[in-house]
Amino acid sequence: MLLLILLSFLLLTGCWSSKEIEDLALYAGLALDVGQPAPVEEEFEAKGATYSKKNKVMATIQIVPTKSTSGDEKKKMIAPKHYINISASGDSILEIFRQFSIRRDRPIIGHHLKVIVINSDLLKKQTIEQLMDFVLRDNDIRPSTLVFISRGKAQNTLISSQPNEIPAFHIYGMIRNRSRTSKVIQAVTLSKLDGLMYSKRSLVLQNLETAKGETEFSGVGIIKGSTGHWIGNLNQEDTEGLAWIKNEGHAGVIKTYDRDNEPITYEIKSMKSKTKVHVNDGKIAFHVSIKTEGRLIEIWNSKGHYTKDESNIKEVEELFKAKLKQTIDELMHKLQSVYKVDVAGFGEALALKDPRLWKSIKDDWDDLFSKTEVTFDYELKITEFGSFTDE
Amino acid sequence: MSAVIKYIPDWIIFIQAFIAFSVPLLLYFLYTKLYHFVGKTPSPNVNRPNEKKEPDEVNVPFTGSFEKDMEIIQELIGGNCDFRTREFTMAKLNRRAILVYVDGMQNDRLLNVKVLEYLMFEATAEDMGLPLKAAELLPFESLIEAGDIGAFNRSVLFGHTGLIIEGFPKGLLIELPDGANRAVTEPVSEALLRGPRLGFTEVLSENTSMLRRQGFTDQLVMKTYRVGTRLKKDLVIAYMKDIVNEDLLREVDSRIEKMNMDFLAESGYVEQLIEDNYLSPFQQVQNTERPDRVINEIVAGRIGILLDGTPFALIVPATFTMLLQSPEDYYERWLPSTLLRMLRFLAAFLALMAPALYISLISFHPGLIPTELAITIIETRQGVPFPSLIEVLILEVAIEILREAGIRLPKPIGPAMGIVGGLIIGDAAVQAGIVSPFLVIVVAVTAISSFSIPTYSAGFTLRLLRFVGMIFAAVLGMYGTILFFLLMCSHLTKLKSFGVPYLTPLTPYRLQDWKDIFLRVPFTLMKKRPAMFKTRNRRKST
Repeated sequence: MLLLILLSFLLLTGCWSSKEIEDLALYAGLALDVGQPAPVEEEFEAKGATYSKKNKVMATIQIVPTKSTSGDEKKKMIAPKHYINISASGDSILEIFRQFSIRRDRPIIGHHLKVIVINSDLLKKQTIEQLMDFVLRDNDIRPSTLVFISRGKAQNTLISSQPNEIPAFHIYGMIRNRSRTSKVIQAVTLSKLDGLMYSKRSLVLQNLETAKGETEFSGVGIIKGSTGHWIGNLNQEDTEGLAWIKNEGHAGVIKTYDRDNEPITYEIKSMKSKTKVHVNDGKIAFHVSIKTEGRLIEIWNSKGHYTKDESNIKEVEELFKAKLKQTIDELMHKLQSVYKVDVAGFGEALALKDPRLWKSIKDDWDDLFSKTEVTFDYELKITEFGSFTDE
Repeated sequence: MSAVIKYIPDWIIFIQAFIAFSVPLLLYFLYTKLYHFVGKTPSPNVNRPNEKKEPDEVNVPFTGSFEKDMEIIQELIGGNCDFRTREFTMAKLNRRAILVYVDGMQNDRLLNVKVLEYLMFEATAEDMGLPLKAAELLPFESLIEAGDIGAFNRSVLFGHTGLIIEGFPKGLLIELPDGANRAVTEPVSEALLRGPRLGFTEVLSENTSMLRRQGFTDQLVMKTYRVGTRLKKDLVIAYMKDIVNEDLLREVDSRIEKMNMDFLAESGYVEQLIEDNYLSPFQQVQNTERPDRVINEIVAGRIGILLDGTPFALIVPATFTMLLQSPEDYYERWLPSTLLRMLRFLAAFLALMAPALYISLISFHPGLIPTELAITIIETRQGVPFPSLIEVLILEVAIEILREAGIRLPKPIGPAMGIVGGLIIGDAAVQAGIVSPFLVIVVAVTAISSFSIPTYSAGFTLRLLRFVGMIFAAVLGMYGTILFFLLMCSHLTKLKSFGVPYLTPLTPYRLQDWKDIFLRVPFTLMKKRPAMFKTRNRRKST
């Protein structure tokens, strides 16, 4: 009898809080845009299907996979899209998400969220803290989710012209190309963003540009720590410079033009930099020494003055060094004079060197940084020339 | 004071605490109740008075008169259709004699040519003259005197050849039974690639001789018991005198003595009558049909139990790790053996938990599946109308049915049916949208894994517990799966086999013996016998 009662306890609970995976909708991407009702929403609202809200933000989620009718029909049909993007606007991201529940047949779950793309105009109006508050608090969404910025409409980055591709995964995968170029910065995850936001530090997020259903990483967007707003973008070459200074790059190229104005390319095999901090009576100065080795990989000049001759190599090395210096100088100009933010890790170097001093000045470090002297020295070595026929 | 009162939780918490406290107690109470209910088998002492009432064996002494004795024998067992007698006169002695035997249980040629020839023409007065010395002078290898007619009859019916000579007041049993036997073959249930191709047979004397032949020693002791209250059978326990633990030996001895069953058909009867916990899903006695395995365990300090009429020997005490060890581990070099052993642990884990993990991941924790896989699963499961538990049960039960049927299928069509059944059902179930293709992989891996366990009967345990695990997973998800695992672990920790904790050396923790659990370290490092049996002689090599 007792056993029976116990058994019924067990069985009557049924499948406690169980939700079959196929009855759920995963969203893999989230795009945040300036608030304006989505076209569907407008029509709904015109018919009176509305609730009290201010259109401050438009959230677009990418739901994967779409519901296919049956497994058997896969041969006949020309591959349908593998994702659905659905947008709604409002002034609370969670409320927008719950609004989706009255439009969709399956509840959405955030475990598999991979990328968050934020429109830069939205970041001018709202702070990053406001926008990220929900995704950081929600315990479904993983802290490893990557955050990007987009100058165009963020929801366009979640559209792809490739039929079999899920744009969110595409963007997520593009981060892997850091091994080939330093135009891709180290991905900013939610957990990293949390730390940076909390300490009110300026930060950069990879910028996404879209064209004809394709997405490209193009430079970075700067978010000023003290305000939490977007203040501007750095272009692709500046991003490379950032990688040089922060010692974060792995690979890439330096291309310049030789005396005959023909392109000549250097493939970076190693790139290292070291930032030294000098503090003299409260006056802070930085010195960055950059060291790189690589190979001369592409020469368009057919006049053939490129031999393994020592002086010749020196000359070419100087060319590349000049180009590198130019890149970095341009970046430093933008950081110190145009945007007046430190996103190149000078603050960290100072904090490690002199924590007490850092504590006293960290609140207005961005301003201080713009007046700080930063010097560079370059060491560039061509170690090989690739395989080529020696005359 | 009021500050303290503020922190006293309200009554709901107290009720929850009470329930949490009473559930284990309740379960324990139920368990002990059930244990006693199942364990209420009458002990032999209680039963003895009843036994007396049963028609006991007749103990009629030999009268000494040839005709009279024959008459009694004829009366008692002459009704059997296979009962044969051959009366003759011993030529040199000029006495009548009679051979009594059961048809088909002797070597006929030997009987006719040698025994009869000798008895009829060669046996002289000197040989047979003095009744008491007769036994010594008869040129038979096996010769037993039967004290009374009852014993004589039983032996004859068991296959001995009986001889009664006129004027000789006792029955002689001169030939051992030689019934139809199976040839010695490779063990079917425990095939190995490397190792002796020798398996036990149904004849006890052959089996003991196989053990003897493993090596020269005077320390290997074999002790015989007569077991079974109605049909008696020989049972032998084998151990190394200088190694075995005295207490263990006494325990085995007393448990075998206590067995109360009218007939023990197979060593499985013995196993179930001497095991510690009959409610446990885990077997506490190891069975094997490999002599090399038995002798290895005997040398390690365990005790082997052999029963007449079955090729399966028992080894006690058994521990959990034994179930996943194969004799081949020691025949191959230590690196491959270690790898295989770890593989087996993994396989056992999969066989036990794979469906439970599948259910808990699919139904409760979609976030724990890698995204790409999650999408594939969603796509394939879209047409499946059942919750994952039903889905898994459908396929698991189908596989179990196939397995059970596979044993009984006639040999020529067995493999074909197995493949057809497996492939067709799996594929058709996916096509019909009853199950998802991913599940077919899970179930197939589970089934294959359970076959990689060296002891077949240990596989049963895992098959049984797999379903329990599935139900736990279906009710409580990953939490339930872990709960199930913990419950199983706590049961195993409590389990004992002949006084040896089942999980030794994992717990109680004996690091020394870990050399032979997950790893199989080189022999040069295994200089001592396992500490868990507390053997008399610890060192293996000097």
